[in-house]
Amino acid sequence: MITLFALLTLFFPIDDNIKIVDPWMRPNANGMASALYLTIESNSEAADTLYKVKSELAERIEIHETYSNGDVMGMREVGMIVVEANSSFELKPGAHHIMLMKLKQDLKKGDNGDFTLHFKNAGEIKITSVVRSK
Amino acid sequence: MKKIIKIFVTISLAMFIVSCTQDLPLYKDLTKKSYELVNQDSMRVIFPEVIKGNITVMGFIYTHCPDICPMTTHNMYLTEMKLKKEEIEDIKFVALSFDPERDKPSVLKRFAVMRDIDFKKWTLITGERKVTYDLLRRFDVRAVATDSVFYDDGEMSYSMMHTDRISLIDKDGRLRKNYVGSKINIEELIKDIKYLGEY
Repeated sequence: MITLFALLTLFFPIDDNIKIVDPWMRPNANGMASALYLTIESNSEAADTLYKVKSELAERIEIHETYSNGDVMGMREVGMIVVEANSSFELKPGAHHIMLMKLKQDLKKGDNGDFTLHFKNAGEIKITSVVRSK
Repeated sequence: MKKIIKIFVTISLAMFIVSCTQDLPLYKDLTKKSYELVNQDSMRVIFPEVIKGNITVMGFIYTHCPDICPMTTHNMYLTEMKLKKEEIEDIKFVALSFDPERDKPSVLKRFAVMRDIDFKKWTLITGERKVTYDLLRRFDVRAVATDSVFYDDGEMSYSMMHTDRISLIDKDGRLRKNYVGSKINIEELIKDIKYLGEY
C-alpha cells in the first residue's frame, strides 16, 4: 500500500504550494486565437516551472510573451515560465500569456473552459477559466 | 512705452494662437487618394469616403491576434461607451485589417459580433493586399508575418509583428493624432475628440 502511494505521488505529485488566481480568457470565434491570463502564486521554498498547458478548447496551446520595439509589437513563444520561490508571476495583457491557437469553439463572454497546467514540481493543476469581454 | 506694449500684445496673441493649434499638431491629408476596400458585409467601401463628415477613431488590427489587437479593439469600444454616456454619438469607428489573406469580410464580422460591436458606428475593412498595404503606408503602419506553425491537418498559421496604433481623423479626412492602440489613454482620446468636434 505504501509502495502504491509512493508510486502515485511520483507520477502525480501533490503540491498545493502553487495557486492559480483569477484565470480569464478573451472572446473570439471558432478557428481564431485567444489568450489565457492568470496569476501563479508560489508559497513553495523552491522555484517551479510551468512548461505545458493542455485544453480541449484549442488545436494548439503555447506559452508566449508579447514584446515591443518602439511602437511595433510582436509575439514569440517562450516555452516555459519560471516562478521563483515564494513569489508570484502574472500572465497579463501585453506581456506573458497562454496562446490558444485555432479555437475549436466560439468563446463568448461568460463561457467557461477547462485547462490543465503542467508544472515541473507541482505536477498537474486543473483550472477553469471564464471568458471576459476585454 | 506704447511700442513695447504693442510688441508685448502681439507676441502674447501669437503665442495664444500657436498654443491653440498645437493641441493636435499632426496633420496629414488623407483625401488625396482613394482606396477601394470591402466591409464586414462584403459591401464595397471607398476610403476615405466611408468616414467623410465624421470624426473617426481608426484602429489597425488582425483578428488572429490573441493579445495586442483585442486590447486595441477593446480600447476603441470603451471609448465609444464613454462617448455614449456623454451623448456624443456621431463618432465613427473603423478597424482596418493588415491580414487581408485571413481576414475576409465574414471573419471580420464574426470577430465583431463576439465583441458586441455596433455596426451603426463601426466599419471593419479589408481588401486586396496591395490596396490594403498602400493605405497602411499612408498611416505609417507596418505589419509583417513572423512565426509560423503547422496544425495537424496541415494548415499553416502565423503571427504578425505590427505597429500598435489607433489614429484620430477629423471631419475633413485629415489625420490629426496617433496613439499606441493597446496602451492608449482613453481620457486623452476623448479630450482630443471633443477638441476637434467642439463638443
